Amino acid sequence: MNLQRDAFIKVIHEAARKDKDVVFLSADFGAASLDDFRAELPDQFLHCGISEQHMIDMAAGLALAGKKVFTYCMGPFLSLRCYEQIKCALAMMGQPVTMIGAGVGLGYADAGPTHYVTEDIACLRALNGIEILTPADEVAAVATARLCLDEPHLRYIRLDREPLPTIITGKSDEEFEQGMLDGFHELAVGEHTCIISSGYMLHRALEVRNVLVRPLTVQPINLGVIDLFRIKPIHPDPLIRVLDRYETIVTLEEQCLSGGFGSAILEVMSDNLALKNKRIRRLGLPDRYYFENGGRERLLDEFGLSIGDICTAVILG
Amino acid sequence: MMINDLNARSKWLRQQVFEMAVRTRQGHLASVLSEIEIIVALYYGGVLRYTPNMPEDPDRDRVIVSKGHGTMVLYPVLADIGYFPKSDLDEYGTFHGRLRIFGNIDIPGIDATTGSLGQGLGIACGCCMAAKQDNKQTRTFVILSEGEMYEGSTWESALFASHNELDNLIVVIDRNRKIILGDTEDLLRLEPVADKWRSFGWSAQVADGHSHANLLQAFSTAERRTEENKPSVIIAETVKGKGLSFMQGRPEWHYTNLTEELIEQAREELA
Repeated sequence: MNLQRDAFIKVIHEAARKDKDVVFLSADFGAASLDDFRAELPDQFLHCGISEQHMIDMAAGLALAGKKVFTYCMGPFLSLRCYEQIKCALAMMGQPVTMIGAGVGLGYADAGPTHYVTEDIACLRALNGIEILTPADEVAAVATARLCLDEPHLRYIRLDREPLPTIITGKSDEEFEQGMLDGFHELAVGEHTCIISSGYMLHRALEVRNVLVRPLTVQPINLGVIDLFRIKPIHPDPLIRVLDRYETIVTLEEQCLSGGFGSAILEVMSDNLALKNKRIRRLGLPDRYYFENGGRERLLDEFGLSIGDICTAVILG
Repeated sequence: MMINDLNARSKWLRQQVFEMAVRTRQGHLASVLSEIEIIVALYYGGVLRYTPNMPEDPDRDRVIVSKGHGTMVLYPVLADIGYFPKSDLDEYGTFHGRLRIFGNIDIPGIDATTGSLGQGLGIACGCCMAAKQDNKQTRTFVILSEGEMYEGSTWESALFASHNELDNLIVVIDRNRKIILGDTEDLLRLEPVADKWRSFGWSAQVADGHSHANLLQAFSTAERRTEENKPSVIIAETVKGKGLSFMQGRPEWHYTNLTEELIEQAREELA
């Protein structure tokens, strides 16, 4: 089980060997794979100091000159500190830069709220023309890196701090490719109720499915699970076709609920008149900052996102 | 072009931007009037490498007006060198016209979309780094307002430029000493400006920003200094609203608010 960042950067490294226009920028954030990259291709690696705003502006200048640019730093300092640089230099000029934010959500649980990023989906999806992707495992991270190389576009890639077990399995190549186009993978087909999530929380969603589907449960529930790895843009037709099979939809995110992941799903359903006779329940973090110690699992359990909490939400709808 | 010709060009450019501001009753005329000679020296004094009528020439030097509110100064010049039809100037600031107070990269000759202060230098670092990686001789000129020295991102980029020996980067600071609420040195001191840049590893010069001879000398020195592998900054001492007696050095003229009487007076002064 590898870190997503290592899987992602390895793909970029291979491409950079053959294409000198691939340039990797870091604001003093590392990875074992990045050590290999910068040792082998020092001219294609630029250390930007701990100067995230400069890194984003410079990425725009490099992209204007035709470079294929990847910027890399810790999630909160990439998305929020540089928000206006991302807007003005990248989004307004439409530059196809890949921004890799590592450690999203409560990933840096030992560091506290300065290092959590629970607002990045809400903030960045307000920017015009950006794509936002959250790969849920190593396989998805590799596929995302290839997408960024093959089809350059302004993208924000949300990688997890922890190595995550592979969960996107059993898909044929065609099914997986179709999912990459549609922006989601249906990981489990259920009845009546489904749960939509992405990244780290998707793993919790699958745990919930495993609990509820057990025959020992009083009333087993066959919970559908959808990995909506691309929260912007959402292609409404394929998603709504799947959601139409369910009466109850639970959205699950490690984000504040204001304008985040669940909000985006509500918007697309509302705009496409797909809300009729549906019950939608959004699960996310309460509206406050978290100074408590205890680690990520403990924090999620304490703040309403334990397996039990999610099961209850699914059962009660 | 001789100094007298450059002076005539500057007079022409002042008249052009003034009439554009009168037509639209908008913009930041005083900030534009302070950078006239800098732009004229750059485009007509043999400093900038460009090919008339070919805005996409890949070997052209890049120009980034980082003080985005001063971008409109370029439009008469860019039309004059054949980057777009002169008729575009008549539509400046209108709904269907493509020329705006601030520039964007859809306009031929505008190399970066600017407007939010403190971002042009970082974008320029990217242009210069790419030119180095590709072994190209193109340089990037940045027109920075002194107000951008209040933005932390400017200094982030200044650090990067000197460490990476971006000797293809030349910055001109339009040092008119005025920001919206008054004088920089009263409100929040910027001096010693040249020392600050030098301490960041830059080659710094101070020039009279309204003297073509002085500016050309500074550009020439800046080119020679590239032998030291340093980025170069020219601190051009200027007067905000230069050329109009009622506007010169008056911070309240950051925005354009012309009456009919003042318009007539200005036309006489600029003639």
